[in-house]
Amino acid sequence: MEALKSQFPATSFSLLAIVLLLPALGAFVNGVFGKRLGKEGVRLMALSAIGGSFLASLLTFLMLPRGEDAEQGGRLVWTAWRWFSISGRMQQSIPIDVSFAVDGLNATMMLVVTGVGFLIHLYSSEYMKKDDGYHRFFAYLNLFCFSMLVLIMADNLALLFVGWEGVGMCSYLLIGFWFGETKNASAGRKAFIVNRIGDFGLLVAMSMLIYYLGTLRFSGIEAGATSLMAPVKIWPIGNLSPETLPSWAAAVLLPKQPVMVYASTLVGLAVFLGCAGKSAQIPLYIWLPDAMAGPTPVSALIHAATMVTAGVYLVARLGAVFILSPAAMATVAITGAATALFAASIGLFQHDLKKVLAYSTVSQLGFMFIGVGVGAFASGFFHVFTHAFFKACLFLGAGSVIHAMHVRIHDTDQSQDMRKMGGLAKYLPVTRWTFLISCLSIAGAPLLAGFWSKDEILWKAFSNEIVGPKGMSSLPPWAWPTWLGPAIYWVGILSATMTAFYMFRAYFLTFHGEFRGWTIVRGWKGPHAGHHHDEPHAEDDKALEGPVPHESPLPMTIPLIVLAAFALFAGFLKADPIHIEPLGHLLEPVFKTAETSIHERASAKGMEWIMMLPGFLAFVVGAGGAAFVYLKSDGAQEKAFIKSFPRLYKLIFDKWRIDELYDATIVGMVDALADIFEMADTWIVDGILAKLSAAIVGAAGTVLRAFQTGKVQAYSASMVIGLAGVGWFIVRPHAIASVDDSHLKQTGQVVVSAAPGFGYSYKWEGPGVIAAKDFSETRELKMELQPGDKKEVVLQVKNAFNGVDTQTITLARPGKRGANAAPNNAPPAGDLLPEGGKVVIPADKIPELIRGHQ
Amino acid sequence: MTSIPLEYFLIVAAALFLIGSVGFLLRRNLLVLLMSIELMLNAVNLTLVAYNRVYTESHTGQIFTFFVIAVAAAEAAVGLAIVLAFFRVRKSVRSDDADLLRN
Repeated sequence: MEALKSQFPATSFSLLAIVLLLPALGAFVNGVFGKRLGKEGVRLMALSAIGGSFLASLLTFLMLPRGEDAEQGGRLVWTAWRWFSISGRMQQSIPIDVSFAVDGLNATMMLVVTGVGFLIHLYSSEYMKKDDGYHRFFAYLNLFCFSMLVLIMADNLALLFVGWEGVGMCSYLLIGFWFGETKNASAGRKAFIVNRIGDFGLLVAMSMLIYYLGTLRFSGIEAGATSLMAPVKIWPIGNLSPETLPSWAAAVLLPKQPVMVYASTLVGLAVFLGCAGKSAQIPLYIWLPDAMAGPTPVSALIHAATMVTAGVYLVARLGAVFILSPAAMATVAITGAATALFAASIGLFQHDLKKVLAYSTVSQLGFMFIGVGVGAFASGFFHVFTHAFFKACLFLGAGSVIHAMHVRIHDTDQSQDMRKMGGLAKYLPVTRWTFLISCLSIAGAPLLAGFWSKDEILWKAFSNEIVGPKGMSSLPPWAWPTWLGPAIYWVGILSATMTAFYMFRAYFLTFHGEFRGWTIVRGWKGPHAGHHHDEPHAEDDKALEGPVPHESPLPMTIPLIVLAAFALFAGFLKADPIHIEPLGHLLEPVFKTAETSIHERASAKGMEWIMMLPGFLAFVVGAGGAAFVYLKSDGAQEKAFIKSFPRLYKLIFDKWRIDELYDATIVGMVDALADIFEMADTWIVDGILAKLSAAIVGAAGTVLRAFQTGKVQAYSASMVIGLAGVGWFIVRPHAIASVDDSHLKQTGQVVVSAAPGFGYSYKWEGPGVIAAKDFSETRELKMELQPGDKKEVVLQVKNAFNGVDTQTITLARPGKRGANAAPNNAPPAGDLLPEGGKVVIPADKIPELIRGHQ
Repeated sequence: MTSIPLEYFLIVAAALFLIGSVGFLLRRNLLVLLMSIELMLNAVNLTLVAYNRVYTESHTGQIFTFFVIAVAAAEAAVGLAIVLAFFRVRKSVRSDDADLLRN
């Protein structure tokens, strides 16, 4: 260990390069040579890349600064190169480095990404075995791991944004992995576009941080965050004032006091917009359920365990900014609570197993945002940690079920439909037990991972109070109301009850009761060919037709077992109520500054154990209710509910028709805009621009074609005519002179030079010209002018054929006559001149030197 | 010994050049055109050697003339080859018929 520490000092921790570059290498090799490598080669490359990355991450984790070092913010830093510099508002240079820094928070995250990533790679190597795009799949998956590692290891926001966009792109590629079907391709597009909206918020936040703090480094943001306590006027904007507006508009638009908010609130809300996009929160959650169009391992890795938690990670990372604005914190927490409840309600009635899990993920992400929103950053992150295990396990379990269902149903939607499943516990024992453990964990069964993390979040929501920074600015901060915490707590309890219910509904519908998939065997010809498969014969399994669902092979069950083990025991890494919290101690220094303005409400003191009771009851009621409805009475109550409230059921089943609402409003507006642009395109671009320019070019062609006869002699005739013209020009004399007046202002000296030519001789005439009387070879004439002087010079040119041409050149020097009689700076006597004898003439009063032609 | 003045050579050369250029512009037989080009080249040659006769200190004019003769020979060879190829295609040596690119 000591040898390693000297090899990798904390300030230049190049081991991070290995963590990063192995997945990048895997992506490159599989992407470029994958087809030639064959499936075994691709599998070896992908697994060893992510596995090596995991080992390096583990080493990094073990080498984290501990104790004293960690208290002082010790981190493992590696700077690759200077990326670019920008200048801030004080004209200072702000360097943006490609630099990575690891502390307890992102070291844990690295372990999750590479560890869970490795298990999912292993699983996929079997799950995707029959797919033609095997190498493409693993190239994307490795590229995703690389981007995700860049995202979590980056030590500044700009680099984080690179990873942020990278994972977004990989998500797009993998959602639309089977792009042959329009549905999948458009799901990928939807995810990408919705995320763009969030990314806009993140970009705005970055610009504001650069403006107010002059840095994008997380350490710098944390240190200088208090500069964000500057009040910002958000309304009225620009030059809106009673003077510039009509009076009725001023009365409506202009408030008595300008609306002021803190810059920290704006930054917090902008960052949260980005996080809401990436982490599927209201109002941008709509892409995540559709993202289930991708292969199931992708749903497990990207859309459950890692990428979607990036938003939670970012809020936790920027905790120092968020605590400066109770309003932004409240927005995060309320949005989280609303999303948790809303998504859980949709999950109650879905038939598609993966859709249930998708809404469950959205709901759990809501819980995480409740955590970070009430200032329990460590707890929120802990839920990210435990959720990664049990949700990945659930998705992989669902994948295993789908894999098994595929022997009977070769249709993506049908094979995921829980109405076709049931009784699978007999055929898939490993999948069943791991799925059950994860279900218990997510539902909050006591002592399991999900219990500790969820309970912790709810308790913190109940008890925490955000005390805004005081006395830092004239603007009074928004106060955190005392009712908000308990309100979020009870919404959370309600969501947790629903979670337990729909998870156990999914479990019982899938693994218990009778197998309902016998009736469908597409494309399979059994021994009794011609038998009608439509006939329902679910009475007993002796009458089964075709292949039997079977347990998945070892590479798929091992990840399930490992993840289920973590779903069982990971809770003890941070079990606050019983004071077993190694992870909590690790995260303490990270959130040290952020947690200073979080206080426990006085009225909540000592209620921790009591408030665990509703959480426990939520599990009992939810799971027990599901058992009663789906295990005991075979869904009779659900059918009764559908019968008595058909419209409410339809509304919830249609996901509250939010997609339709967006289609009607935002998408409709964008479509209308696109229609306008399309008209502009057909009429202006195609109609006028394209046709007009084509007409001009065509007309020019028609004219020029007349000259292009194709007859050599026509060309040579025009050449002869041209040459004759040139000859005539040469034979004629030309009296052309150029005047060099660069010294005119200072000394009055002017040089006139005549243009040369064949056999030319020159003759100069004019007042004060001392030159030969006859034509001579003197091409240049030097003259001196006094201020105010104006002289005319006549130039005569004779050529070899005795032709003569004449030109008159007028020379003038600006200024008052006699003002500067002596050119050598000697002031004439009696003249009042500035010192030095120089006459200073304003530039605009100097007329141009006049040149005339005869 | 009285030598012939420069002007005489120049007049003869100008006359030759004029004949050549007028022939090139007005005649339609490709062989005649080639001969007209030879005439013009030789008019230039005559000018060059005539000047060299007056300015005897260098031989630039004469040397240049040799180059012109060499180039003219090459040009005549290539030109005749083109005329031959053209005749095979169009069964004609009229320059008016050389309009394959236009139509």
